[in-house]
Amino acid sequence: MTTPLLSRRDFIVAASAVGGGMALAILPGMPFAASDAAKGSELTPWIVIGADDTVTIRVPCPEAGTGGTTQVCMLVAEELQCDWPQVRAQSISYNRNTREGNLYIGQTGTWSTFAGGGHEPEIIATMLQVGASARERLRAAAASRWNVPVNEIEARAGLLIHTPTSRQARFGEMAAAAATIQLAKEPAPKPQSEWTLLRKLNPPRLHVKSVVDGSAVYGIDVHPPGMLYAALVQCPVHGGKLKRFDFEAVRHMPGVRGVAVVDPSEPRIELEKPAYWARTTAQSGIAVVAEHYWQARKALEALPLEWDLGSGVEWKDTEQIYEAAYSRLDRPADKVVKETGNAPKLIEQVGDAVIEARYLTPLCEHAPMEPLNGTALLTKDRVELWHPFAMASQALVIVQEETGIAAENIELHLPLIGGSFGRRVGGDDVRMVLAVAKKFPGTPIHVIWSREETFRQGRYRDLQAARLVAALGADGLPKALVAHVAGHDPMTAGLDDAAYVNSCIPNARVETSNLPMHILTGQFRGPGYNSQCFVIESFIDECAVRAGIDPLEYRLRILSKWPDPGWQACLREVAARAGWGRKLPPRHAQGLAVGNWGMSGGPREGTTAAAIATVEVTEAGDIVVHALDLAFDCGQILNADAVRAQLEGSMIFGLNVCRNEELNVENGRIVEGNFDSYPMLRIADVPRQINVHMGALTGHSRYGGTGEVAVGVVGPAVANAIFRATGKRLRTMPFRKANLRFCA
Amino acid sequence: MKTELRVNGEPRRIEADADTPLLWVLRDHLGMTGTKFGCGIGQCGSCTVHMNGVATRSCQVLFASAIGTSITTIEGLSRNGTHALQRAWLEDNVPQCGYCQAGMLMAAAALLRQHDSPTDEQINSSITNICRCGTYPRVRAAIHKAAAKMRAAQGSRDPQRPRDPQRPRDPS
Repeated sequence: MTTPLLSRRDFIVAASAVGGGMALAILPGMPFAASDAAKGSELTPWIVIGADDTVTIRVPCPEAGTGGTTQVCMLVAEELQCDWPQVRAQSISYNRNTREGNLYIGQTGTWSTFAGGGHEPEIIATMLQVGASARERLRAAAASRWNVPVNEIEARAGLLIHTPTSRQARFGEMAAAAATIQLAKEPAPKPQSEWTLLRKLNPPRLHVKSVVDGSAVYGIDVHPPGMLYAALVQCPVHGGKLKRFDFEAVRHMPGVRGVAVVDPSEPRIELEKPAYWARTTAQSGIAVVAEHYWQARKALEALPLEWDLGSGVEWKDTEQIYEAAYSRLDRPADKVVKETGNAPKLIEQVGDAVIEARYLTPLCEHAPMEPLNGTALLTKDRVELWHPFAMASQALVIVQEETGIAAENIELHLPLIGGSFGRRVGGDDVRMVLAVAKKFPGTPIHVIWSREETFRQGRYRDLQAARLVAALGADGLPKALVAHVAGHDPMTAGLDDAAYVNSCIPNARVETSNLPMHILTGQFRGPGYNSQCFVIESFIDECAVRAGIDPLEYRLRILSKWPDPGWQACLREVAARAGWGRKLPPRHAQGLAVGNWGMSGGPREGTTAAAIATVEVTEAGDIVVHALDLAFDCGQILNADAVRAQLEGSMIFGLNVCRNEELNVENGRIVEGNFDSYPMLRIADVPRQINVHMGALTGHSRYGGTGEVAVGVVGPAVANAIFRATGKRLRTMPFRKANLRFCA
Repeated sequence: MKTELRVNGEPRRIEADADTPLLWVLRDHLGMTGTKFGCGIGQCGSCTVHMNGVATRSCQVLFASAIGTSITTIEGLSRNGTHALQRAWLEDNVPQCGYCQAGMLMAAAALLRQHDSPTDEQINSSITNICRCGTYPRVRAAIHKAAAKMRAAQGSRDPQRPRDPQRPRDPS
């Protein structure tokens, strides 16, 4: 059985003559034509080689801009020795994975991860092996056809060459024969020293061509036949309920076809999920369904509605929330998450050399450029979903929970993702799409959130308040530290896994408390860390100032006890490259910060980065960031340009977070709804110098992710620079709110 | 209402409500989804098209007021993605998620039509699009690169052509 899905743009044609002939989830926008795959030979479930030499590689991670898709294809191509321009990327079929006993995921050991970096150890090992195995079968096929020993066959750039005679064949000519060959023994992938593609070349990411000519297909571009649009609104105060509405008032409007109420109290099944997954619940809301999006949106705006806003309205304004957060720090903490030595006692004894500070980071919206949306077609016993989800495993479970339909009857189609930054991981948007679409069985429904709804129905970076107290020793270094962090549960690591509190400061205690609030929060690029790196790196800077020691020297001394040379390397590299200590004009200064994302409290884990911000504060008090320099250590890298792109982008992301971003609350509602009230850096605002320095890479065997770490270190680097330029210490974000005017 | 619009050089017959933004006419009625919905209030620039050659945020133009104009979208920027900007975008791996990039390219193409050798200041004032991935440094570099290539190509065709008259004089 094949399931062709034809859009008006004829982009989704999913049909396969291989592998049992299920519908394939193609990665639209990739240079891919279904007929190629239909004609091709499936060497493994991961690789199809066409008679025309196209090599289709099935990719187990989404493409949200990190280049994970390209990375996976490069891993396969390195071993396969195919011709790179012939490579096409295709999403794995999640349905086939279910039907064929965890066919794909059983090998990689993981579903597509959050943003799909393509650098996870299981994915690297699997993809190299898959490529090597397919290459050996192609060589064996050629040897058998020509009746020569296999060791005389070389595979190179899509050709099989009999070296003694120079006889050659294209991969496409041998693919069908190779597909029938079983190897007696799996080949070992070649040593890294023999790589010719990985680490050597940085080809354009596979989706870029379709991006620049406008043919790329994101979730919002999907259009299965017969599709209707839905414009959705949810209760403006999270947790509130729809009380009444009057559909008759809009029924007559052009194109209107119906209305769908999302009622959280309808019965739903709940499946078992890992503890770290999001616990999504349906949010009370209503969608108007119409032939065209604009018709649905206009009718929704005209629809008379009344909400029962719930208890969230009791939060009158943002200040009230901030006061509650600060005051939570003065009461005993919920729990102690890290304890070394006896910090509280030492702090009590020390007296004068005690330093204390409080910090706060606000709620932030991910604001991916593609507004939330998704398309679903439900029938009695089957679901198809076209959706820009960033984590397929959570999406698949949510589809089952929301529809009650078994996984083998669910097909997920994964288009390109117009940005996630954590927003599209938990799948609450998947649930809402299904909750609407199931009211229109048999019709594909494309639900689109307006930008305002995307903003106000977020799963925000949680606000965190922190109080840090340290006692300095005779050498000026902290000998005891007590930190209390209050935020939304579940808080993720960041402060308690910082190197400082793991053997560098001899007495350290980290406590956390939950701030109960109705506003929904979630994962945001470097969860927890993106707040807590600001807190700890600002505080260490304050300690350095108190001790009268240069902030670079201070950090190097504290971290001399840390058994991971990457930290020192990052600090020294960035200091050398940015000219730390050089004389700057008046009102200019540099600030420094170091951090790590993904280390889980241990050395040689995740990615470490040190950043220096070169900042000017004008007499009028405006902050001008002239340069951001960053050195990093993620162990090893596979593609320097891809890593550079991630780091450049996340430095700018981090600059926007610290300088601009804050969501406000009024009577329980989120105030900001669009980019006119939630400022974003534009090209004119971005420092001309965004410098990524490669010199701190230690070559340790890990491949750390590089998308998050810069988001943490940029904020404190800028705040520390502002302090050195003005003497004013910024302990809350966003910095644009601070009064930095120089008084003559 | 029913009318004809000229899109990418071809007349297209369209039936849509008069108050539908041009953005949704293109995406939803013509199926040309290269032009993207980002904010709906003219802030982000993801929906940038050329209207009579001028970079325009199509979410802010109603269908009724687009009558009689000539529209160019990303799909019509060049044949087969061969505009110097598109080539530079590929060479420099500019896009990350890519969602805002059609708008960036259309804004940049309009800029290069006005100034064949844009200054950084001209880029700053013309490219006001939002990119959440932070591709700005590469966008700037690729605009300069494409401009240089276009000038070189133009120069080899027409060596007598005067330089951009609007380019400010070099302060040095």
